[in-house]
Amino acid sequence: MIRPLFLLAACLLVSPVHAKGNAEAGKAKSAACAACHGQVGVSEVSNFPTLAGQHRDYLYHALRDYKSGKRKNPIMAGQVASLSDADMADLAKYYSQLPGLTLKY
Amino acid sequence: MKPISMTLFASALLAVALPVQAAGDPKAGQLKTSMCAGCHGIPGWRTAYPSVYSVPKLGGQHADYIVAALKAYKTGERDHPSMKGIAGSLSEQDMEDLAAYYASSYSGPAK
Repeated sequence: MIRPLFLLAACLLVSPVHAKGNAEAGKAKSAACAACHGQVGVSEVSNFPTLAGQHRDYLYHALRDYKSGKRKNPIMAGQVASLSDADMADLAKYYSQLPGLTLKY
Repeated sequence: MKPISMTLFASALLAVALPVQAAGDPKAGQLKTSMCAGCHGIPGWRTAYPSVYSVPKLGGQHADYIVAALKAYKTGERDHPSMKGIAGSLSEQDMEDLAAYYASSYSGPAK
């Protein structure tokens, strides 16, 4: 009984760390994003969404959907092709921490 | 043609060529948010189906992007059950108004 519990606890401890991403690492990977989404995630072109301040898990989910092809956009499909799961988590974390979008009722 | 008249001619062409933006009205948009606010207006609200993640923040997002997203939901190009239903019920003017509201700093009439 002890071993399964230990494994479960270990999984719970390990997985969130990976899923939440690393903002510093994300910043280092964000150069390609900046061309359209702005230097600090505030896009200057109205067709491209502002990313700064967006929810981390929403950004991660969007990147994963572009990667799987569920969400279709020719530009984004090309951009995410080379991103690993960790890259997407890092980028999502980085942009979610920048000041920008707000919750608006 | 002289450089100045060339410039004028070019700008006139550009003005004609650019699509007329059916600019949305933030005040009209604010009156149409009843279907949006239940998810997008609640701190920490998450999607329930088909997968769970935080509902995106809309405040300060570009109006053009919001309109494009709504249209993509309406046509089915972008897939989410609730958003397909809601966007499907919106006219193009509704979309423009809502987008203008969320993009703007207007937050409703003073109380």
